[in-house]
Amino acid sequence: MNLIITYLEIIILLPVIAGVILFFLPEKYRKIKSLAALAVSLMVLYYTVKLYFSGGAPGQINLIETGFLNWLGTSYLSGSSGNFFMLNLDNLARFILLLVAFFSVLILLYSYVYMDRKNALRNYYSLILLTLWASVCTVLSDSLFMFIFFWGFLGLTLYKLIKGHDEESSAAAKKTFIMIGASDGIMILGIGILWKITGHFNISELTVRTSDAIRFCAFLALLIGSFTKAGAFPFHTWVPDFAKNAPAPSSAYLPASLDKLLGIYFLTRICNDIFILSGWIRLVILILGGLTIIIAVMMALIQHNYKKLLGYHAVSQVGYMVTGIGLGSVLGLVGGLFHMVNHALYKSGLFLASGCIESKTGTDKLEKLGGLSRQMPITFICSLIFALSISGVPPLNGFASKWIIYQGIIDFGKGTGMANHLWIVWLSMAVIGSALTLASFIKFISGIFLGRSRTGLKKVKEVSWMMWTPMLILALICTGFGIFASKWIIPALFEPVTGSVTFIGVWDSSFISLLIAVSIILGISFYLIFSMGRFRTDESFIGGETNRRDVGFEPTSFYETIRNFGILKPLYGWAERKYFDIYDVSKIITLKISHLFSAAHNGILSNLAFWVLAGLIFMFIFLLI
Amino acid sequence: MYKDLLYYLIFPGFIFISVAGAFLSWFDRKITAWVQFRKGPPVLQPFYDFFKLLLVKETILPAGGSRLTFLMAPVFALAGASVSGILIMLPALGLKSGFSGDIIVIFYMLAIPSVTYMIGALAAGNPMASVGASREMKLIISYELTFLLIVAAIILKADMSIKVQDIILAQVEKGPFIGSLSGILLFVAFVFCMQAKLGLVPFDMAEAETEITHGSFIEYSGTAYAFIRLTKYMMLFILPAFLCIILLGGFRTDGIHLLWTVMKMIGVVLLITLIRNTNPRVRIDQAMRFFFIWMNLLVIAAIVLIYFGL
Repeated sequence: MNLIITYLEIIILLPVIAGVILFFLPEKYRKIKSLAALAVSLMVLYYTVKLYFSGGAPGQINLIETGFLNWLGTSYLSGSSGNFFMLNLDNLARFILLLVAFFSVLILLYSYVYMDRKNALRNYYSLILLTLWASVCTVLSDSLFMFIFFWGFLGLTLYKLIKGHDEESSAAAKKTFIMIGASDGIMILGIGILWKITGHFNISELTVRTSDAIRFCAFLALLIGSFTKAGAFPFHTWVPDFAKNAPAPSSAYLPASLDKLLGIYFLTRICNDIFILSGWIRLVILILGGLTIIIAVMMALIQHNYKKLLGYHAVSQVGYMVTGIGLGSVLGLVGGLFHMVNHALYKSGLFLASGCIESKTGTDKLEKLGGLSRQMPITFICSLIFALSISGVPPLNGFASKWIIYQGIIDFGKGTGMANHLWIVWLSMAVIGSALTLASFIKFISGIFLGRSRTGLKKVKEVSWMMWTPMLILALICTGFGIFASKWIIPALFEPVTGSVTFIGVWDSSFISLLIAVSIILGISFYLIFSMGRFRTDESFIGGETNRRDVGFEPTSFYETIRNFGILKPLYGWAERKYFDIYDVSKIITLKISHLFSAAHNGILSNLAFWVLAGLIFMFIFLLI
Repeated sequence: MYKDLLYYLIFPGFIFISVAGAFLSWFDRKITAWVQFRKGPPVLQPFYDFFKLLLVKETILPAGGSRLTFLMAPVFALAGASVSGILIMLPALGLKSGFSGDIIVIFYMLAIPSVTYMIGALAAGNPMASVGASREMKLIISYELTFLLIVAAIILKADMSIKVQDIILAQVEKGPFIGSLSGILLFVAFVFCMQAKLGLVPFDMAEAETEITHGSFIEYSGTAYAFIRLTKYMMLFILPAFLCIILLGGFRTDGIHLLWTVMKMIGVVLLITLIRNTNPRVRIDQAMRFFFIWMNLLVIAAIVLIYFGL
C-alpha cells in the first residue's frame, strides 16, 4: 500500500514540478527542455506501469490520511471536505493513467525534431507536462470538485497549445476555449445539482437514478461536459478547427488521444458509476452517437485540407465509443473502451503523419500533394496501416473494436425497450459510417501518397528517425492489437476493467491473420518465381492520349457526386455556412441579444437617467415582494 | 493447425474455390455467348487465360505510380477473397476446424477485394484508373448499406444469431429463408448487391471497358493481372455461395442433395449472367440512387415484414 502511495506521489508531483521549472527556462534551451520533458514523461510512464501491475484491491486512497498532504491534517479540512483529496484507484483509472503516460512519451519523442524551429510554440514542453499532470489528476480524482478543477485546467492548456499566429488560428483557439469553458460551466451546474440532491461530491459515494427532471438535468449537464471534451455531436465543432490550425503534435496529443481518453473515461464514469440510466436516456445517447458518426464523416468526405479531414474523423470515431458505452452492456463497454484506445492509437498516428507531411512539404492542402509514397516510404506505410485501421479493415485493431461494438448492438437488440427495437438503425449507422470513413481515407491516402508526384515535391525526403519512430510504434501496436485482439488483448487489458465478457460471434483474429500472412507470402513468392526478370516500366496508357502532367482526376473531386446528391446538396451548403455549428449559432444569438440591449446605451443623458430610475423601481418592487 | 492450413489452401479453400470459380466463369461466358448467338469458349478457357497471364506475359509497371503498392494490392485482394471464402465454406460444409468467423467478419472480409482494387488503381497513377477507383468507392458506399441491412434482416430471421452455423441450422429447422415474402425481397436485393460487388453490368462503371478502358485495372498486366483474374473467379463462387447459405438453406453434400447444391449455385450464376447480358450500364449517380433509395426501401420493407412474421 505504501509503495502505491509513493508511486502516486511521483506520478502526481513530478510533471507539475518539472512543468513549472521548464516554464521559467528561456526558449533558447529548447533541446534541453525537450529532453528533460521526455525524461520526466518516461519516468511517469515507468511508474504508471508499476502502478498498473502493483495489484492491490481497487479502492479509494485519501491523500490527507496517508499521502503527502497529511501535513494539512484532517482537522484543518474537517468533515466531508476531507474527501476532497480522495483518489479513486480502480482498474479503469490505472488503465487510463497508463495510456495517458504512454501517449505523452510518444508525443514528446516526436516533438524533439518537429518543434525544433524558429517560430515554434512557446512553452510547448511545459504545457505538455502540465497537461500530463492535469490529466493524471483528473483521472485519479474521486471528488468531483477536484475533478472539475483539473478538467478546467486542461481546457486552458488546450487553448495555449494552438499558436495564434493569424486571424484564423486565433479564432480557432478562441472557439476551442469558449466551447470547452462553457461546457465546464455547465458541468459545474450539474455537480452543484448532484451535491444539492445527495450531499456528496465523491464519485464513489454517488449513485443516482435518473428518474425525475432534476436528476435528468444533472446527468445532461455532465454528459455535455464529457461530449464537449471528447468531441461528440453537437458539441464537436471545435475539433476540426483546432486540428486545422494547431501544430500536429498538439492535435495528436489533445483532441486525438488525451481528450478522447478523458472524455470517454468520464462518460464511462457517469454512465456506470454515478448514474443508473433509464431506457430513454440510452435512446438519446444512442441517437447522438449515431449522428456523431454520420454527420462528422459526411463532412470529412468533402474536405480538401487533410488536417481538417483528420479532425472530422476525430469526431466521427467518438460516435462508436458513445454508442458502445451507451448500450450499457459489458460487451458494449468493452467495445467502447477498446475503440477509445484504438482511436487514440491510430488517430494520434495519423496526426503525427500529417505533421511529417506538413513539415516536409509545407502545405496542408490535398490538391497540392501527391505521389509521396516513394519519397516517404515509412510515413506512407504507417499512414496506410492507420487508415485501414480506422476504416475497420480486418485484421487490424479498428475492425476488432468495431466488431465488438456491432455484437453489442445486436445483443442489445434482444432486449425489449424502445431503443432495443431500433438496433438495426444503430447497426446501419455504425456500418455506413465505417464505409464512409474508408471513402474519405481513400482520398487522404491517394491524395497525399499515391498518384503522380507533383513537380514541386521532387526534393521531399523521409523525416528523421525521431519522427518516424513514434509512428512506427503506433502502427505496430495497431497491427498487434488487431491480430491478438480476441485471444490476448481483450482478456488481458479490458476484462480487468469491465468484468468478463462473452462474445456472441466468433473471430479468431490470430489464426486468420496467420492465414492472411501465408497468402501474402505465397503471393510474393509467386511474383518472385514467375515474373522476376519480366518486369518492365512504361508510361501509362490513357486511351491513346498524350500523358500530360497537368491532366488528371484529382482525389479531391472524387466525391462530388455525393456532394451533389439530392438532399445532401443543400445540407452541405448549410453546413459550410455553419448553420449547424452550435458555436456560431449561439454566437449569432448572443450578439443579437446584446445588440438589443446596446440600443439602450445611446449616450443620451436623459435616457440613461431613465434606465437607472427604471432599474431602481424594479429593484424596489422586487424587494417589496 | 496443419489440418486448418490444408482446409485453407486446398479444400474447401483456395484451390477448390478458384477451380470452381473458374468453371463458373466459363459457364458465365458460355451463357453470354449463347445470348449473343456466339459459340463461346471451351471449358478450360479460364485456366488458359490465367496461366497465360501468370507464366507468359510480362508485367508492365506504371512509370508515374507507386510500384510496390501497385504490385501488392492484388495479393491482398486474393488474401481477402480466400479468407472470406474459407469462412463461408467451412460452416457451409459443416467442417469442424480451429478457426471461424461470424457473419459480420464475412461482411467485412468480402469488402477487402474492392478496397485493394481501389488502392491498386490509385497507385497506378493513371487518370482512368483514378476515375475507376472513385466510382468503385462510391459504389461501395451505395451497396454497403443495403448489404448490411440484408445481413441484419438475416440475423433477425435467425433469432439474433450471428454465427453462420446457427443461421444454417435455423434454416434446416424452419425451411430456407427464401420461402417467405420477406425472403424473396431479400433475395432480390442481394442479387443486385452481388452484381455490384462483382462489378458486372449494370454496375460495372468502375471498369467500364468502352468508356474508361477497364478503369481500375487499366495498368495491370502479367502476374499482377493474373491475381486479379483469380480473385474475380473466386468472388464469382464466393458470393453465390454466401447467398445460398444465408437465404437458400445452405449446402448439403449427401447423395442427391449434392445435385441440388450444384443446381442452386448454377441457378444463381445463371441469374446474374442473364441480368448482366440484358441490361445497359447505369451512371454512378443512378446506381447510388438505385441503392440508397429503392434497394434500401425494399430491404426495410422486408425487415418490417419479418417483424410481422412473414
